Amino acid sequence: MEIFTLFILAVFVNNFVVVQFLGICPFLGVSKDTSSAFGMGVAVTVVMVLATLVTYPLYTFVMVPLGFEFMEIIFFIFVIAALVQMLEQILKKFIPALYNSLGIYLPLITTNCAVLGVAELVIGDVSALGIASMNLGYALLYALFSGIGFLIAILLMSGLREKVDRYADMPKALKGFPISMVIASFMAMAFYVFTLI
Amino acid sequence: MTTILNLLAVGRDIQWQVFGLVLGIFLALALIFTVFILIITKVCHIQEDEKAVKILNLLGGSNCGGCGQSGCAAFAKKLAEGKGDPTACHSCPAENRAEIAKILGKQIEDEGPTVAVVHCAGGDKAANKFEYNGYADCTSRSGLLGGQKLCPSGCLGGGTCEAHCPSFAIHTKNGVSSVDRDLCTSCGVCMNKCPKHLIGRIPRSAKVYVACSNNCRGKEAKDLCEVSCIGCGLCAKNCPEGAITMVNNLPVIDYKKCVGCKVCVQKCPRHSIKEIED
Repeated sequence: MEIFTLFILAVFVNNFVVVQFLGICPFLGVSKDTSSAFGMGVAVTVVMVLATLVTYPLYTFVMVPLGFEFMEIIFFIFVIAALVQMLEQILKKFIPALYNSLGIYLPLITTNCAVLGVAELVIGDVSALGIASMNLGYALLYALFSGIGFLIAILLMSGLREKVDRYADMPKALKGFPISMVIASFMAMAFYVFTLI
Repeated sequence: MTTILNLLAVGRDIQWQVFGLVLGIFLALALIFTVFILIITKVCHIQEDEKAVKILNLLGGSNCGGCGQSGCAAFAKKLAEGKGDPTACHSCPAENRAEIAKILGKQIEDEGPTVAVVHCAGGDKAANKFEYNGYADCTSRSGLLGGQKLCPSGCLGGGTCEAHCPSFAIHTKNGVSSVDRDLCTSCGVCMNKCPKHLIGRIPRSAKVYVACSNNCRGKEAKDLCEVSCIGCGLCAKNCPEGAITMVNNLPVIDYKKCVGCKVCVQKCPRHSIKEIED
């Protein structure tokens, strides 16, 4: 039951993109077509889980006992950057098509605040996450669910954008990026309903 | 010195033990990740196009996007496939372009170092169609009835070029942009961004340039702007070298013939040909 609550909270109620406004850069940048949006979502999810897998034990078993929690951001960013480097190499080798379609946004996962956000949230106040106490399993699940939330948001966005860019007849001043911002704000409003649960 | 340190609270109370500990753990972590990355790079090594790598090393490397591609790597790949023109990159030295051409087995004509220039001097001197109240960006301005200026090819003064210039070489003052020649790398980002296509490239050695882009003639042009070219052709008639031709009511300067005598600057009744001060 706790896991279900965690899932609902992470995916819908506290959706990273449209409720907490983290990770907007790839959300707007890679949402032009659905296939690369899906690739981006999966890549972010993988980085989130991997990053939490490293940062959570690093924080609880090394940084807290030795008393330098204040260095968390530098350490976390460092870990995330290194992981993205590895992921980039792996993608280049095995899925070159996805590597090419993600382009500059792949290295930008390094500084994606959604990834850092997960790493920070799982070590912070757990009461907001709907569970009694945090452990590595929950942390990983939360990272996975947050990634799924990101994936859902970016997929919805890319689907809407594809339709709007192709079929909608709109004034020149709104074409392209401005209408994407409008779509994103409407999505955020729609997701706001979930916070009332 | 001591007072300054005291003021800044630097040098006091540094817990050197914690400092060393953090540094040590950080370095250890760095070492572990380095090993991992090395292993993964080794395992996932793929045969990259050697030509593309060579070209990439010769390109500007600032990922300015002036060539129209998303970055230097994309442009290098395009070149290696035999498409595109190495002269599209203006951020790298001429020798590098020659080297790239040699790798590709192509002959290129290099006109030497260039610099960007704004072919408009209107700004506040150009008449307004309407008062624009909105987002300042030129792209938004031109989206609304082609911009607030009466002149169809006048600088809108929104500073889009200024905002996108990677080397901070463009300044928009009094409603018109101008290029700082000392900072400009001639990458071409502004040329792609300007919705009115007012920015062009001229050789760095050029002494004069045309500071107007509108194709109207005579009275029509006079009504648009105080400094518009009226297409009278005095510059073309008086140029001793025959370097100026009139195309679409605008002078076009052939910089191969131009010797920098500046006769055109003196003859122009509208001051649309400007001299470059060094």
